[in-house]
Amino acid sequence: MSLSTAVYQTFFKRNSIFVSTVFAGAFAFGVGFDLGVTAFYDRWNAGKQWKDIRHKYVQE
Amino acid sequence: MAISQAVKKAVTLAPTVRTLPSGVPVAPLLNLAARPAHHDDHGHGGAGPRVDTPPRWSSGVSRTSSGLVSKTFTTISPSLYQPHRLLHTSVAVKEAPEVPDFSHYRANNNESHRALSYFMVGGLGVLSASVAKSSVSEFLQTMAASADVLALAKVEVDLTSIPEGKNVIIKWRGKPVFIRHRTPDEIQEARTIDWKTLRDPQPDEARVKKPEWLVMLGVCTHLGCVPIGEAGDFGGWFCPCHGSHYDISGRIRKGPAPLNLDVPQYEFNEVDGKLVVG
Repeated sequence: MSLSTAVYQTFFKRNSIFVSTVFAGAFAFGVGFDLGVTAFYDRWNAGKQWKDIRHKYVQE
Repeated sequence: MAISQAVKKAVTLAPTVRTLPSGVPVAPLLNLAARPAHHDDHGHGGAGPRVDTPPRWSSGVSRTSSGLVSKTFTTISPSLYQPHRLLHTSVAVKEAPEVPDFSHYRANNNESHRALSYFMVGGLGVLSASVAKSSVSEFLQTMAASADVLALAKVEVDLTSIPEGKNVIIKWRGKPVFIRHRTPDEIQEARTIDWKTLRDPQPDEARVKKPEWLVMLGVCTHLGCVPIGEAGDFGGWFCPCHGSHYDISGRIRKGPAPLNLDVPQYEFNEVDGKLVVG
């Protein structure tokens, strides 16, 4: 109960802080979402992409 | 006790119009001196007693043996006929009559669920800001240089690493470029030839900016193979595909190729000892 009040007081009360939090959150969300979806995609298609089978063909 | 003056007071009046600050009701046209009219010739029973005056017997001055006495029965209602002048209020006028009443759904206090509401709004803000940023950045990325434009970029070569008499092949615009650090003998050889008799007449001076540095495209002018350096009958290059021979200046001497090896645009960066092709 007081957690919500504390959150309100620190983040939601002043609009300038609210908007700044929204932008920072959007930035973090963009990065995090990108990483998350890429990881999921790679795991879902494991063994099918070039980067997975490259070691069999490329002579370093 | 002998009071000859009738006192006008507002006492136990039924609720009515507004009152003055002193408590007296405002009745601007009220005539307290009025008495009920006696109309005997009214067919329908007459107007009846005036209802706003107190009855005679309730108050007034009377003469007694001990003088004038004023008596007021304060509990008497000011009229006999009691119209039901009830206190009432009209229905509360809504500010926006078309809007339904939401009082049932309102929160008990201002702070409950406030953080949740703001969080929902902020969450939508985060998502939409992220969408906007993605759209703008993706659209701007399409305006960046495409792969073919990037391939047109200049290439820098460090000339100090190329000793005399050596060929170096670099890649530029997807094509090989031959760079040879010519020895004085080779330069001499290139210049003593009578170039006017060649298939593609071109003096060596016109093909190089500095005589010791020969820079040309390593693409055979016949059908585009890459000639091999330090090969061929003329001390220059030899194209293995169809047997074109190029001399030490890159000019065609023998074979099917029609033109000399092309010389690209290049500059010397004297300060750094570098050659910039393109």
